[in-house]
Amino acid sequence: MDVSQYLEIFIDETREHLQSLNEHLLVLEKEPENEATINEIFRAAHSLKGMAGTMGYKKMQRLTHDMENVFSEIRNGQMKATSRLVDVLFKGLDVLEEFLVNIQTDGTEGKTDGQEIISDLNKILESGLGKDDSSASDAKDSASTPADKGEDKPSKDYGKYKFKSLSIDEHEKKAIAKAKLLNLNVIGLTVYIQEYCVLKGARAYMINRSLEEHGEIIKLSPSAQDLEDEKYDYDYSAFVVTKETPQQIINNAISVSEVKEVVADYINLEEKELEKYLNIIKNEEKQSALSMTSGDSGDLKAKTAPSRKQPSKPIANRSVRVDIEKLDVLMNLVSELIIAKNSLVSSSSSLHDQLEIAFYDQIEYLERVTTNLHESVMKVRMVPIENVVNRFPRMIRDLSKKLNKKMELYMTGEETELDRTVIDEIGDPLMHLLRNAADHGLESNEERKNQGKNPVGSIYLDAYQDGNNVVIEVSDDGKGIDVEKIKRKAIDRGTITEEQASRMTDKEIINILFMPSFSTSDKVTDVSGRGVGLDVVKTKIEALGGDIEAKTKLGQGSNFIISLPLTLAIIQSLMVQISTEKYALPLGNIQTVENVTPDEIKMIQGKEVLNLRGNVIPVIRLGEILDCEKSQEAEELVIVVIKKGERLAGFVVDDLIGQQEIVIKSIGKYIDNHKIISGATILGNGEVALILDVNSLV
Amino acid sequence: MDEINSKQFISVRLDKDLYGVEITYIDSIIVMQNITRVPKAQPYFLGIINLRGEVIPVMSLRRKLGLPDDEFTNVSRILIVKPEPSVAPFGIIVDEVNEVISLDRDEIELINYDEDDTMAGFSAGIGKLGDELINILNIPEIITGNEK
Repeated sequence: MDVSQYLEIFIDETREHLQSLNEHLLVLEKEPENEATINEIFRAAHSLKGMAGTMGYKKMQRLTHDMENVFSEIRNGQMKATSRLVDVLFKGLDVLEEFLVNIQTDGTEGKTDGQEIISDLNKILESGLGKDDSSASDAKDSASTPADKGEDKPSKDYGKYKFKSLSIDEHEKKAIAKAKLLNLNVIGLTVYIQEYCVLKGARAYMINRSLEEHGEIIKLSPSAQDLEDEKYDYDYSAFVVTKETPQQIINNAISVSEVKEVVADYINLEEKELEKYLNIIKNEEKQSALSMTSGDSGDLKAKTAPSRKQPSKPIANRSVRVDIEKLDVLMNLVSELIIAKNSLVSSSSSLHDQLEIAFYDQIEYLERVTTNLHESVMKVRMVPIENVVNRFPRMIRDLSKKLNKKMELYMTGEETELDRTVIDEIGDPLMHLLRNAADHGLESNEERKNQGKNPVGSIYLDAYQDGNNVVIEVSDDGKGIDVEKIKRKAIDRGTITEEQASRMTDKEIINILFMPSFSTSDKVTDVSGRGVGLDVVKTKIEALGGDIEAKTKLGQGSNFIISLPLTLAIIQSLMVQISTEKYALPLGNIQTVENVTPDEIKMIQGKEVLNLRGNVIPVIRLGEILDCEKSQEAEELVIVVIKKGERLAGFVVDDLIGQQEIVIKSIGKYIDNHKIISGATILGNGEVALILDVNSLV
Repeated sequence: MDEINSKQFISVRLDKDLYGVEITYIDSIIVMQNITRVPKAQPYFLGIINLRGEVIPVMSLRRKLGLPDDEFTNVSRILIVKPEPSVAPFGIIVDEVNEVISLDRDEIELINYDEDDTMAGFSAGIGKLGDELINILNIPEIITGNEK
């Protein structure tokens, strides 16, 4: 079978499975007894193996197979997920990731074959099952939970009758008892699908449909959702409540094409259990009879309704994978539409008297539609930052081992969404900040203990939306940034003079950190300290139209605050006039607009400031900064108050033109503009206006 | 005419002299537009224009070459050029666009390179066109090189 057309799907799904394995392994390390997690891991590893096998990636299949063996032993309670074991498993995942990267680049798995990991795994497997101490204690552990043990005895081999090894839940047992009460058969079956079957999901669905014609499916393993998503090998099991005999059910299921084999048998509960559930059912019926006098629920459908709910089909996955390029094209078209709309608006305003009211209604309608269209397209391009940050817990775990410091990463707001292009770029800067926090921010465990802190360091990654911006904070509860140390370093390196240093505020000193090749670390480690760091972070974030700020309290930790625009392509802006020129200010940064008289502006230390309702803010005359031609001093100044983080500043402009939705265009690389201009936009009349980067001006 | 040994140029006038721009660099030639000034930009960049929905930087060739400042007339034109096929275009303002000319390779003489003379770097040679001399512009160097 030609599988090349599935390669992309394979790569996507493999990545998802690897991510899920990574996440669940982390959980497993902390809670070795967590059964749900073990099952999840087992399932992901199993699907991975199946997929790699189908695609013909033998090394990948082999490695996942061996890993799966280990998972299966853990699941059976034969082995315990020790830290050492998890280490090896993580290494295995790394090798798998390597395979994936190679497959992505040239379609082959590459040279490494993961033999080392495989032999490690096998060694662990042997020793783990043998006389290893940990397994002995583990045996005791699992013995203390006999309830779990009694339910699944997966070690017993039922051959083809795989359904017999399934564990039966409470409500399923109840449903079985109920069926007995109604003289119906409960039949378990395992369906084997032909290996060449391409649409396994659809095939399973068809089989289930045909089963449902004769009864009710009360259990599916794997779940209906997994079956539909093809997350199963070539067989699955089900329990059916029906009037038919097993043979009839087999005939029924095998009539669906591409089914290789079906085995089925009656399912019976043990006498005691049956009685217990029958009693429960009787009690329930009495109660419901009391509460509900009318309506008898004699027929099968109504009776089994509650139990049916569980395996009934979950809401189908209603999403489509779309190539990001197609979205870019869509976004460009929306941009063009908005330019066209703006030009229509501007030409209609010049024809003022000659147009009917109805025309303006339509224009307004068009404006609403284009705005909504833009929003919808933007939302389509939005991706939760989860996609980037979900690899960080693993990274912190590895760092913790490498640096020999105990630390925890706490993340919030992973669901916060950002434009796809931003998401793709933000990973590295965040990783850098986290590494910094782990390496330089946090003290060693002993130091922390001596200072009366929790010996385990904490690193926080918090994301949230703030107006038109998304803020991501990376903070730690470590030693904080030593301002004096930076000062000394900066003077030593000649970055600033002694005199300058004495005049600089702490905040300004901290900002030195963002200057190229500045590192305060005394020693260069594997992890960080080479000084190619924060400046790169800053450049990257500024390239995305964002901003980064550092805060610190010596001894209590430091905090890096990144703020990023929600979208890069289209923004709401306030158009202002300065001298004869028009400029756009992003609306998201604007706090208020004030009219003040010139004498309200005072001079403090040679700088102009304005007392705005008790808040003294610096006043920036945009005309001077932008070298515009001097305009006459007006009787009243228009000041646009800009907010950047917690800082405010007033921009003096000559006039306000109005709010407008603008499409951001780059002014290209040729022109050097000292960062005050973040881009340009084309106005309705075809003129070009510049967009001011308020972050660099404040 | 021999394809390999001859190249086509657009001859343009700047101040009193003739300059040539190899035709492969030229994307289009447009009439003067409203140019939006970009603050703090290099002095020879007059600003940006809107060319069919794209924002394109425009430079004054006179300023770049150290000639007296532009005076825009109704024959002033903006040549939209691309230093390489796949990079972003930019505009250069000329006083007048004359005609398309063909020059054989042996009709173009390279001028001696002099380290102190940055202007020489902007030239890809001197062509002879009848009695007149035509200075062939080195477009990639004009966008990357430093002005005088």
